[in-house]
Amino acid sequence: MSAPRVLVVDDEPQILRALRTSLRGAGYEVETADTAQGALAALAAAQPDAVVLDLVLPDGTGVDVCRELRTWSDAPVIVLSVVGDETEKVAALDAGADDYVTKPFGVEELLARLRAALRRVDAPAEPVVELGDLRIDLEKRAVTVRGEPVQLTPHEFALLRVLARNPGKLLTHGMLLREVWGRGYGDESHYLHVYVSQLRRKLEPDPARPRYILTEPGAGYRLADRL
Amino acid sequence: MGHRVRLGLGLLASAAAVAAVSGVVLLLKPHVPVVSLGALYVLAVLPVAMLWGTALAAAVSVASMLAFNWFFLPPYHTFQLRDGANWLVLGVDLAIAFAVGALAARARARREDAERRRLEAHALAEVALELLRGRALDDVLAELASLTAAVLAVPAARIELGDRPPREGERPLPLEASLRRVGTLFVPARTVVDDAVPRRFLPSVAALLAVALERDRLQGEALEAEALRRSDALKTALLRTVSHDLRSPLTAILASADALASPGLSLGEDDRLGLAETIRAEASRLDRVVGQLLDLSRLEAGGAEPHRELWHADELVGQALASLGDAAARVRLEIPPDAPAVDVDAGQVERVLANLLANALRYSPPESGVVVRAERGATELRLHVVDRGPGLPDEQRDALFQPFRRGAAGHGSGLGLAIARGFAEANGGRLWAQDDPGGGHLVLALPLAAREPARA
Repeated sequence: MSAPRVLVVDDEPQILRALRTSLRGAGYEVETADTAQGALAALAAAQPDAVVLDLVLPDGTGVDVCRELRTWSDAPVIVLSVVGDETEKVAALDAGADDYVTKPFGVEELLARLRAALRRVDAPAEPVVELGDLRIDLEKRAVTVRGEPVQLTPHEFALLRVLARNPGKLLTHGMLLREVWGRGYGDESHYLHVYVSQLRRKLEPDPARPRYILTEPGAGYRLADRL
Repeated sequence: MGHRVRLGLGLLASAAAVAAVSGVVLLLKPHVPVVSLGALYVLAVLPVAMLWGTALAAAVSVASMLAFNWFFLPPYHTFQLRDGANWLVLGVDLAIAFAVGALAARARARREDAERRRLEAHALAEVALELLRGRALDDVLAELASLTAAVLAVPAARIELGDRPPREGERPLPLEASLRRVGTLFVPARTVVDDAVPRRFLPSVAALLAVALERDRLQGEALEAEALRRSDALKTALLRTVSHDLRSPLTAILASADALASPGLSLGEDDRLGLAETIRAEASRLDRVVGQLLDLSRLEAGGAEPHRELWHADELVGQALASLGDAAARVRLEIPPDAPAVDVDAGQVERVLANLLANALRYSPPESGVVVRAERGATELRLHVVDRGPGLPDEQRDALFQPFRRGAAGHGSGLGLAIARGFAEANGGRLWAQDDPGGGHLVLALPLAAREPARA
């Protein structure tokens, strides 16, 4: 199998250079673009396996690129956001981005996110998710911790099911609410975090240091894909 | 009402006085020529004039002469006079009675006037004193209104600033100082106010009110100036912090990068890794300082509008722990599973807790940990962050939350706790240092959620 190809989009030449060097060193083939237009052109020409996308570009936003890209490509997208730009970040995730890292970030962190995103592309949907002591059987609707069955309310199970169907993927608050409560979730959005806390108390050995259900501050939740 | 009772009393007293003097005349008549006794009626006029004024005194004068004529001048029990010369005597007596009555009444009016002016002056002095003591404008207004009511002899009065329309059943009286309308006095519309009093008294009230307003304005300006001075001091401290806390990591980064890039240096693999690690660590430190400066400027600009949602304490503390990295292992949690949800901005509370924990970990000896304990109050959830460090003496406890202060150890930019308190208060919470002989003890109180979701 040939080296996976990654398109890196950022208008800062120094960041492009650092990422090109690091990603090549990690065995990826790297294409770069520094505008939204350039990104869409490179996407069509190079057919990358994954995209690393800055949210702020001189001729548009990463959110627009994401939305456009998702009309014809399934390549995972990791957005680069900055502190204080939570709204844009969530908009990009809702527009189809798979994950994010916050600037300034370490290369190791970006590589880990990239590997996980590429792995998910090939992974078939599993009816049974096992994670440490936690076992979720989606078909039988059975959840056990260390072999002991755990009683979940319908909403708690629905929440866990959405997370378990997308192990490792960051799900925004909006996605979770739509999946669990349907389109008109209204007031329930206020309670999402409380349901997650309740779920953690039933599953996690130390709810304040969660191992299974991870919080992405200001963005959403994800089920860890490995411990 | 009181007026009529007073008049009735006056009439009774007048009749009694005339009767009493007539009695005296009757007693003296055998010994003294009766015509000369008419002058005694002055004794009836005098007290009436002093207590009830000119009008009644004049009436008593006339009544006295009629009584004298009727009882003591022949022919008796008629208003006729046998001796024509007695008309002259009566006329002179009447004139004397009138004159004495008028003099006595004037003395009485003077005394009353002096008393009222004394009251007014006293009232104004009281209010002026209140002003000097720096009482709030609203209190001064109320005080001034009640004193004015007392001076005008009306049951109630209120004062409003500027030109306001009266309420139902009120009469407005303008308060003007230096030809400028400063306020309006409202008195009950039905009460009778002697016009002379307001004409004399209200300008003084208005002048005092003008002084009060001016003082209020000056105080406001002084406060603004103080705020400006403080924000100036803050900027100076900020610049000093920026130059120190940003430059030192930058220096370390530049020096390390130079060493790595220099062809003249012979570096072993360990040296290279060490330099790279320095660059990484110092860049993280730089990132933290920049983050704190951003937090602070957001708080200073009032741009920290919280996005409130329901959260459980373990999740809030968990997010703060995640941001601390490896140091989080030294934090022990005592959060009961039934700790109630709070209604806060998770991102901002995470900043509060991360700053509190970083502070506690910094001052706690390395071998001992930091404890986070949750405790339910009536309206708030209290999170205690307790360390085994040196703690703080009483007098330094509040200074802890001023920006750019730092403890004896001198680490950090001294911004963390100021930011923590700022975000705590933006979320309707409180943050304070508690007396604890065991070490540092900070308490974050967060408002409880109004309602908990159904367990479904």
